[in-house]
Amino acid sequence: MPLYELGVIIDPEVDPEAESAALERLKSIITDGGGTLVDQDTWGRRQLAYPIRKKNFGVYHFWKFEVGGEVVSKLTFELRTNDAVMRSLVLNLDNELRRKRKMDAKQEARAAAKAAKRAAAAEAEEA
Amino acid sequence: MASNRPKRRFRRRVKVCRFTVEKINYIDYKDVDLLREYTPTNGKILPRRVTGTRPAFQHKLTRAIKRARYMALLPYVGQ
Repeated sequence: MPLYELGVIIDPEVDPEAESAALERLKSIITDGGGTLVDQDTWGRRQLAYPIRKKNFGVYHFWKFEVGGEVVSKLTFELRTNDAVMRSLVLNLDNELRRKRKMDAKQEARAAAKAAKRAAAAEAEEA
Repeated sequence: MASNRPKRRFRRRVKVCRFTVEKINYIDYKDVDLLREYTPTNGKILPRRVTGTRPAFQHKLTRAIKRARYMALLPYVGQ
């Protein structure tokens, strides 16, 4: 199952019960779809860079989770229809990080080759 | 002739691609402090001819900045 990243901005003026209920619903969509929450990051109340729905603040939540692709469409539907959610963004992190993993591996291989070369040179000097 | 001209007072600063040097291989849209360095107060994205960013990273940077704008972490238009 691919790894996804979700970012939501919750309406700050909605009462706390409604906020936690909305988050709970999102969570249940993920877990009911056979997915697992990997990471939960809460930024809390934060000033928006520009007003959304005439509000200057928003409550930020960032989650990472693993689910099958068909659950994501359900999730985005819920995000669109839920009134407490002001903005949301779902990214497929596997796609995002593919290039990073490749480059990390390449750099590591290069560093290892360099270290091996240096060790060989040191050995040759000793001999 | 070029050699007769008075010497230039200033030396051009050497521009380096930060992402290559620091080996930042993924630019996260949540990393607002990093993205701020590439968007002046007017909110525009600095071109790579100004910052020296490598093309591959400039593409990623642009995407990250646009995502951050959508999530209201960065402004579309500044002051």
